[in-house]
Amino acid sequence: MVEPAIALFGGAFEKASRVLEELLRESGARYALLLDRKGFVLVHREALWAPRPPALDSLATLVAGNAAATQALAKMLGEPRFNELLHQGSTHGMYAEEVGDLALLVVIFDNSAPVGRIKLFGKRAVQSLEVITRDSVVNPGTLEIDSEYRDGASALLDELFGN
Amino acid sequence: MGPVPSWMSYLVTNMSTINFAAREINFKIVYYGPGMSGKTTNLRWVFQQVPQNRKGELVSLATEDERTLFFDFLPVDLGEVKGFKTRFHLYTVPGQVFYNASRKLILRGVDGLVFVADSAPNRLRANAESMRNLRENLAEYGIRAEDIPIVLQANKRDTLDALPLEMIQAVIDPEQRLPIFEAVATNGAGVFETLKAVSRQVLSRVAAAS
Ligand SMILES: Nc1nc2c(ncn2[C@@H]2O[C@H](COP(=O)(O)OP(=O)(O)OP(=O)(O)O)[C@@H](O)[C@H]2O)c(=O)[nH]1
Ligand SMILES: [Mg+2]
Repeated sequence: MVEPAIALFGGAFEKASRVLEELLRESGARYALLLDRKGFVLVHREALWAPRPPALDSLATLVAGNAAATQALAKMLGEPRFNELLHQGSTHGMYAEEVGDLALLVVIFDNSAPVGRIKLFGKRAVQSLEVITRDSVVNPGTLEIDSEYRDGASALLDELFGN
Repeated sequence: MGPVPSWMSYLVTNMSTINFAAREINFKIVYYGPGMSGKTTNLRWVFQQVPQNRKGELVSLATEDERTLFFDFLPVDLGEVKGFKTRFHLYTVPGQVFYNASRKLILRGVDGLVFVADSAPNRLRANAESMRNLRENLAEYGIRAEDIPIVLQANKRDTLDALPLEMIQAVIDPEQRLPIFEAVATNGAGVFETLKAVSRQVLSRVAAAS
């Protein structure tokens, strides 16, 4: 079984990008990412002033794993879910929130940005992102993957991993 | 950074975030199997061999003694096919029995599996139990093992007392339904063969579904 996936094309991608940009502007955060629950980055935005981010695909994987573990804990304790994840260090913080069943919002901020603002605008962004992602759920069957794609990818496998 | 053209989506490389090439397809491949069978070693070999511009960081959440605690993760870029950026996300699970809760989480959204069996005689039972555990955990996601690409790897073929392949198959795949590869993950033998086999199956499956 291949899970339904979120595919952000054209319009939806731009809408989601704008939501993240607005979130960065209003909250003063550094980076904002929309991920799927498997830990794939769907959209990412960074503040103009922010330094180069760390490897985002690793970050996304860890956040998704962390969120999955947290929700599993919630279930064990008889809670349907725990609310947002918030981590704060001496200079940086990270805020993660569920976006429907299939996605996650992640915001990375400096401690100069008040957490209250991050949460407030984070939750607001989640509402818009929920609508956008809900409309972007596709079944793998609707992706244009055909035997031509498969054969092309197969040739690349030989090229990368040897014959 | 200007507005992103509508045909562009998102792409990450290990060094930097390059915005935003075309549509991309990501596949999740999970290495499963009993503790110490060599799952992490498989991923390390892939990491060592794949050229820098085709891979991301290898993330390992491990204990002090190098046992996997939550997962290892390695993204590999296959390249672009028909306008689709194609990427494989490789994961290992922690094989030790008592880490089942985290093992289960890693299976979410899995597209294909490599089952790494240990060829040592005293691990025969552990192989069998891990396969049963895999079936149970897949079932919790509503997936039957028959319905997902699984490739077997008999690892540690270099050890003197390695069991015959048939004995290992007899406990993890008695009907001999699944392809099996012999491997010595520490020197890379069989590692890419296994990964290519599971990748091909995953690709075929998605193509067939379309
Ligand atoms: N002789 C031999 N040793 C191997 C081989 N592959 C792995 N090992 C060794 O087996 C030990 C365990 O390997 P790992 O890759 O950490 O095993 P794992 O399956 O990830 O173990 P867990 O994380 O506990 O599930 C290490 O000391 C490896 O060097 C092999 O092909 N031959
Ligand atoms: Mg390991």
